[in-house]
Amino acid sequence: MADLAQEERTFGEKLQSLPRQVLYLILIVVISASVIASKFAGPALVLPNKPGNNAIEFYATVMNVPEGSTVAIQSDWTNSTRGESAGQLESLLRILMRRNVKFMVYSLADPQAPQVARDTIARITLERKLKGEREYKRWDDWISLGFFPNGEGTAKSIQSDIRKAFKGKRDVSPEGPRDVYQSPVLKNIQTLDDLGLYINITASKTIDVLIERLKFKPARFGDFEVKNKLGSMCTGVMGPETVNYYSAGLLFGLVVGLNGVVEMETLMENGVNWPEGKKTVEYAKDKQLVVPGWTGKQNYARGTSYYFALHTGMALLILAVLAGNIGMWLARSGKGKNA
Amino acid sequence: MDFTWIKLTIGAIATIGLYSVLYRENKFYRLIEHIYLGLAAGWSITALWTESLKSTWWDKMVGTPTASGQPGTPGYWAYILLLPIGLMAYFVFSRKNNWVSRIPIGIILGLWAGQQADAWSKKFLPQIAASMKPIIPNDAFIVPAGTGPTPGSLYVSQAVTNIIFLVTLLSVLSYFLFSFELKTRFMKGMTTTGRWLMMIGFGAIFGNTVMTRFTLLIDRMYFIWIEWLITGTFKM
Repeated sequence: MADLAQEERTFGEKLQSLPRQVLYLILIVVISASVIASKFAGPALVLPNKPGNNAIEFYATVMNVPEGSTVAIQSDWTNSTRGESAGQLESLLRILMRRNVKFMVYSLADPQAPQVARDTIARITLERKLKGEREYKRWDDWISLGFFPNGEGTAKSIQSDIRKAFKGKRDVSPEGPRDVYQSPVLKNIQTLDDLGLYINITASKTIDVLIERLKFKPARFGDFEVKNKLGSMCTGVMGPETVNYYSAGLLFGLVVGLNGVVEMETLMENGVNWPEGKKTVEYAKDKQLVVPGWTGKQNYARGTSYYFALHTGMALLILAVLAGNIGMWLARSGKGKNA
Repeated sequence: MDFTWIKLTIGAIATIGLYSVLYRENKFYRLIEHIYLGLAAGWSITALWTESLKSTWWDKMVGTPTASGQPGTPGYWAYILLLPIGLMAYFVFSRKNNWVSRIPIGIILGLWAGQQADAWSKKFLPQIAASMKPIIPNDAFIVPAGTGPTPGSLYVSQAVTNIIFLVTLLSVLSYFLFSFELKTRFMKGMTTTGRWLMMIGFGAIFGNTVMTRFTLLIDRMYFIWIEWLITGTFKM
């Protein structure tokens, strides 16, 4: 009976009921082929990207934070969102390390997150070491503060008294575990406003916790004005609701999903309104703002490697939706019988 | 065969095992799933102690030595009072005394509620203020290409953008007026517009979500093909 029903299906009906295993197989083959093609084609498959104002402002602010200052990185992602969040943290770390900006890293969201962040730092440190660049050292250049289970309470505590918020935390120093406030990273931090910037990399709503509890005074980095020291790098899922905070001036910049990673990599390669860049990235809001890039260094990385596959995957999805709709149209209009 | 390659191979086997459920339910998938759950639970418990409880509670209670082993920071015994409050939460498993578990929940709720007025104002007031956008232009039609916008100017193109924003804001807000019946044609049109605009918004949000899911698959394929096979195994 089932075989008979199968035989009687029209072409339109068949188009609408492709076995899911076949769809998954096509998807995996297309994505795999795209990833491998990106690896071997190299720069030939770097797709064009026009960074938005949110990413440009994020990049410009990170590029203007004074050398030697301390940036707080609240890394709230784990390997479940490695595709987006790893590229975001990697691009941020490359900039901070090239600019000799110190940073502390911790999580308010997940006990696994600090280890994932430390693994990413180790990866970028190794990358620098292999290129003969200065090795970023734990304790002197960066520290890990671990995981804080009560995000709301910890954020409130950071706002009230940052010296008390991390009291008792110890990190690895060359002489063994020591109080983190003895580290050069935190030594001069007395209040929240002493931080260079506060950046949240998240796959969830932890940016809400920070917006609700942290309040930064406007600051100036030389000629560069910063209205808010809080910035966000979030996944594509969290992007639409986080963009409201950026629009309301609650964030100095915003990097969303894989496209955001590619925006960062494009900006690192070309700068902003920078005549020496390979191509000009214009910032329409302020044509006088010039932020240099890092042409010749490793800028195109994880984001660019995934970008071609994202496009082929999306094209496949559009094709599948079209095929399903054409199938429905054929089935309803009675066409395609005995195809 | 180095340790890095073994690590990558275990990761690849786990990825293939978890994706095998896309074909159909199987024992290989279940095995990997249970290993993952066990590892995640074990890791979380360990990390909760090493990354959090030890430094924020235990070390503060018992004190910490210096690097040379001499007494460093003195301990503060009052931190022991947090232990019974935490343990009370486990009374949720007792049928007779589960009321005890409501005490720590009440403390958490109180702490949460106390923060909300401040939290609400910090989150929403700037958004409300940013919604008050000018709509009457006072300058040229579009922002000049060479110099960028002049401070204080509102170009016609910007004014149109602001009008679209305000129409969206007001029509979507009007959709949520449930307390009274909307009888006028204008208000009915506003709510319908609001509903349509929300649908467009939901479509954009869904598009972002799909993009994230695709990226997660791309990342796994990158791991299998590039990190494990091409770079890790064949050293290409």
